[in-house]
Amino acid sequence: MNFYDIIFYIFAAITLLSALFVVTTRNIVHSAFYLLFTFFGVAGIYVLLGADFIAISQILIYVGGILILLLFGVMLTNKITNVEIRTGTVHMLPAAIATGIFMGAVVAVMVWTEWKSEPSVIPLTTTKDIGHLLLTDYVLIFELLGILLLVALIGAASIARRDEE
Amino acid sequence: MYQFLYNLIGNEIIAGLLVAVVPLTIILVFALFGIWLERKVSAHMQDRLGPMRTGWHGWLQTVADLMKMLQKEDIIATDADKTLYNIAPVLVFTGSFAVYAVIPFSSKLLGSEVEIGLFYVLAISSLVVAGILMAGWSANNKYSLLGAMRAAAQIISYEIPTALIVLSMVMLTGTLSLDKISQMQTSSFWNWNIFGGAIFSLSKFLLIPFMFVGALIIFISTLAEVNRVPFDIPEAESELVAGYFTEYCGMKWGMFMLAEYGNMFAVSAIISILFFGGYQSPFGYLGNTIGAQWLVPFEQGFWFLAKGLTLVFVQMWLRWTLPRLRVDQLMTVCWKYLIPYAFINLIIIGIISIL
Amino acid sequence: MKQYLRNTWDGIFTVLVGMKVTFKHLFTPAVTIQYPDVKVKLPERVRNRLYVNMDDCIGCDQCSRACPVSCIEIETVKSIPGEDLGITSNGKKKALWVTKFDIDIAKCCYCQLCVFPCPTECIYMTDVYEFAEYERSNFLYKFATLTDEEAVQKKLNYEKFQAEKAAAAAKLKPETPAQTENKSE
Repeated sequence: MNFYDIIFYIFAAITLLSALFVVTTRNIVHSAFYLLFTFFGVAGIYVLLGADFIAISQILIYVGGILILLLFGVMLTNKITNVEIRTGTVHMLPAAIATGIFMGAVVAVMVWTEWKSEPSVIPLTTTKDIGHLLLTDYVLIFELLGILLLVALIGAASIARRDEE
Repeated sequence: MYQFLYNLIGNEIIAGLLVAVVPLTIILVFALFGIWLERKVSAHMQDRLGPMRTGWHGWLQTVADLMKMLQKEDIIATDADKTLYNIAPVLVFTGSFAVYAVIPFSSKLLGSEVEIGLFYVLAISSLVVAGILMAGWSANNKYSLLGAMRAAAQIISYEIPTALIVLSMVMLTGTLSLDKISQMQTSSFWNWNIFGGAIFSLSKFLLIPFMFVGALIIFISTLAEVNRVPFDIPEAESELVAGYFTEYCGMKWGMFMLAEYGNMFAVSAIISILFFGGYQSPFGYLGNTIGAQWLVPFEQGFWFLAKGLTLVFVQMWLRWTLPRLRVDQLMTVCWKYLIPYAFINLIIIGIISIL
Repeated sequence: MKQYLRNTWDGIFTVLVGMKVTFKHLFTPAVTIQYPDVKVKLPERVRNRLYVNMDDCIGCDQCSRACPVSCIEIETVKSIPGEDLGITSNGKKKALWVTKFDIDIAKCCYCQLCVFPCPTECIYMTDVYEFAEYERSNFLYKFATLTDEEAVQKKLNYEKFQAEKAAAAAKLKPETPAQTENKSE
């Protein structure tokens, strides 16, 4: 077991433990903050896989964007100064069945798929390649995503300004 | 640096930790020096003297304050959320310390030579936002929460003009690596990006005014990102006591101060790398002239610190010049002025750079 | 649009003007006085700590009565004939032993009202202003020159003298005190 394996297990433990806390804690704000560590653990694993650009994107988008949005949402929809924001569990049985089936499907896929394993070559820079691919092979998807985000932005702005009429 | 230590010690973990100690030391020493400088600058701008009695011109004042801070009782409010309350200062400091991982202090002293340094800096600063929100919410104090909300809104808003200017610089230089950007601006201050970069052509002269605009915009927006006056509404003393760290005391409060001063130097370093040549000397190196190659990295370190400290001084200068902005003015400055200008700047720099 | 550009220009220009002002002040000599090292010369008639020159005090109690905050406490004992208390510097003859002259400087409001009625100008304001203490009891300044034993002695002397006088008077002329009282009325 070398140094990078230890780091990998640390990141994996952080990810799994904090994900467990996200699910089990009864305080919504706590679970939102535990999500931060989950995202970080995942980013760390991306770094170990040599995908530095994706790791940083993970932090920028999930921690800097989605998590903050989530926190704002949680804080603004509840009584804002209350530390005792709680959540409960309902419909235990259907939830257990649904997650059981999903888990089974995932495990089945993991077991029965024939994984192609090659000796990994860590690419020195991924950023340039990603940029090239985005603007050549995947340019249509890239543009469509851009338009989708623009539409969402305009929609959000129009909803926010509606009461001024 | 890492390679050198790795060769010297032969252990990845110890070498990595030792490399990490260097920026930590720099932050700590800079925070001590920066707080003293802030006091002296503010005092002299108001025709006062500032601390004078601890050491020569009070240079030990911050050390004395640190001693006091370490001895203070650690008070946690009864209704605070204790776990998050304790994590928050560490998270905020981690966010500002992590930025230093990619900053090249000189050509031999750089933590990590990652290709995507600039992108990393933009991303990791979002950790500070999460930490600030955590601090503000967990203290269970209305002023803390208001400060945290304001801080989050402000930092997220001002990240956009910063990112746009960074983007235009990336378009110009063609790399995200801070070290490579520094290397491009070598040999003379005329080659700095603020004077259009190192390639001597017509586009260099066309770029100069837009580079000035870009430097101005990124200076203003990073000033807002580190919550300094005139953009200090998250901690506005006269309205919110101390904003998101109202409830903190002792060394936890000290962590926020460390993070603030660490951030100040970090953004100054980023601006100096993007526009003012990073660690490059404006005139050429004494070490090269007298034939002592080993001197060059030290000179580079000196120039880097000098540039960073100059920008920090300008931040302090602005702090003691301007009053605080109102919240709506703050948002107006960002969304109605900085972002349109940054966009136009981005487009023009793009057009010029493909000429 | 014109307004927009004008706002931008004003924003930048006014900040630069402000920065110029503060930069000038950076090199203006500071007005701070380094207090314990450098002391400002006080005005001539400054009012600070009270001082009583007990050599001149005749124990008339006028200062104590003038004090608006009652911070001066004086007790006196009459002298007996034959005791020479000396004279004050402006020639007044002292007739009272001052057994207690306490000033609680913590109460003092520095109004100087006690200074004016003094017939011998023995109580006055000095220019001493650094007299902070760790104990509040230290603010009770005792100016009486007599020691406690002496004060008790003087008191006993006087009482003894009075008793002797009364006894002598009673022996010689028992009616005399009554007559004098009548006369005085």
